[in-house]
Amino acid sequence: MGPTAFNSPVRLAAYGCLTTFGDTASTHRALVNGERALRQLPVLGREGGDPAPLALCPGRSLDEAAPPNWLPFVRQLAARLPSDGWGSPRRPVYVTSSNFGVGSLYAFRRTHDPSHLAYGTPSACVEWLRHELGWGPNVTTFSHACVSAHLGLLQASRIVSAGLADEALVFSFDFLSPFVAGGFHSLKILNADFPAPYADRPTGSIGLGDGAAFAILTTEEKGDFCIAAQSVHNEMHHFTANQADGAGFAACIRPIITATADRRVWLKGHGTGTLEAGRLEAGALGQAFRGAPLVSWKGSLGHTLGSCGAVELAIAAESMRTGQVPGTIGTRPPVFLDAVACETFSHAPYDAVVCTSNAFGGAHAALLLTPAPC
Amino acid sequence: MLTAYIQAAHVEDPGDEEPAATRERLKDRFPRGATRRMTQLGLLVGSVMEPLAPTENDTLVYASEYAESRALEGFLDSFPSASPTLFQTSIHPSAVQQFLIQRQQAVRTFFPMTGRENLVAHALQVALLADTPRSLVCGGEERGTWLLQNGVASARTFAFSLSLTKEPGNAIGELSLSETDPAPGELNLLRFFQALRDREPLLLNAAPALRLTLSWR
Repeated sequence: MGPTAFNSPVRLAAYGCLTTFGDTASTHRALVNGERALRQLPVLGREGGDPAPLALCPGRSLDEAAPPNWLPFVRQLAARLPSDGWGSPRRPVYVTSSNFGVGSLYAFRRTHDPSHLAYGTPSACVEWLRHELGWGPNVTTFSHACVSAHLGLLQASRIVSAGLADEALVFSFDFLSPFVAGGFHSLKILNADFPAPYADRPTGSIGLGDGAAFAILTTEEKGDFCIAAQSVHNEMHHFTANQADGAGFAACIRPIITATADRRVWLKGHGTGTLEAGRLEAGALGQAFRGAPLVSWKGSLGHTLGSCGAVELAIAAESMRTGQVPGTIGTRPPVFLDAVACETFSHAPYDAVVCTSNAFGGAHAALLLTPAPC
Repeated sequence: MLTAYIQAAHVEDPGDEEPAATRERLKDRFPRGATRRMTQLGLLVGSVMEPLAPTENDTLVYASEYAESRALEGFLDSFPSASPTLFQTSIHPSAVQQFLIQRQQAVRTFFPMTGRENLVAHALQVALLADTPRSLVCGGEERGTWLLQNGVASARTFAFSLSLTKEPGNAIGELSLSETDPAPGELNLLRFFQALRDREPLLLNAAPALRLTLSWR
């Protein structure tokens, strides 16, 4: 059996995101205007370190506090959820993140202040958030680095499609800390340069950004969009590299090609700004969807890590709603693929978007977002 | 009700064994030199997964509350010169990735999960809703050191794996999840591991509104 997609369409009843620029509309507007949220900041916060492109929510310090200083931003996002009763048996919550509150463990190690420990593990962090946000106990947690959000979307889709829930909330977040920035800096992919996704240049670089998002999925007739198909694939080739022939990218995309049928799509790629992964991704997407415009928004927002799939889903939906698709900010030719769109363009000639994300371990995820009805 | 048949179950219960001893005990199960870079949890998860011979078309579910505690401790200790190796090793599903990357074994659908009281029930729910003929469920913890002293790591080292199918075949047991009252769950990862190790039947609320039945033949 070859790779297949989850092809039971579900409705995107509601969506929202929060980035350095603010809510979904503010983020979309800033991207359309070509603004860059990333700023050069020391990777270890008050401890200093090399400067690197980081995008933090307004007024937030990279250094952890107890409770974490990102709670007000999560509250701000959660306040936009269209209803309550989340975490009950028929309204499950899927929390996804790569780092949860692990920055608090770094803060504890540095300060020996035990108050940080209450947020440091994924389970403690999610339990704390659950109480803060008033959710019931039916909360499932996925953590698969930068495809985490896609797993939440996939399982939420399965639950509502199986009739085991009326609606499912996917809630994704990742906020930067010296732990995270220091880790990526140690891999030497976070350097002083601003990212230029898909640009063919001598040295690659990424930026990191705060991000959080939600998506509410249902089989009921709610919302303007559908997630029509989803696909995942895990190469298990190398922790930090992909198969050199791009086979992992292609394997994940293949089922989505079938699902797009004759739809006219544009592509929201992963596009962090690393060279090899960018080249492989652009090559695979270009081959699968010839001529379809390809964008990445991480050159502005930074890579929002475990939340990126949900953050970028919200921006993609907003792009379809407003008719304006932000370009690949920070990138100028030469690029790996002629179809890389550096400037904002109109959604009007298109009727769907393919959104992809990738992660450590050669993990790949993709989904097809279409207008409703599915 | 969601039901699956247990085709195989494996456990590792090394007690207080230190990582170096685990490495020595299991070194013949892995390619020469590979264990040097593996964590204790990676070794144990690899040991219980190896007999199941995972394929690309399996759905793989991994459950751990604390995951790579020792690598996380080492990474935190490495600041301000953060260790790239320990950073990537400390990422949640690393235990499974260590094993599968070494085998160059792709897997289409991989759900790494974390949590506490409801973790087992939700991991099984993911496996039972999978669209593949076989689902593999694995999990475990490794005993921490200074994180454990501060209450944020596991006190026990263990690992388990399960092979689940939709058809009975030569099943050794059966698992089902059914909807029930919203009473709190009472099945954590360690308790589930012990039931697998002792081939103990279970009938309980594994999470709010989810009743687990585990039976053995």
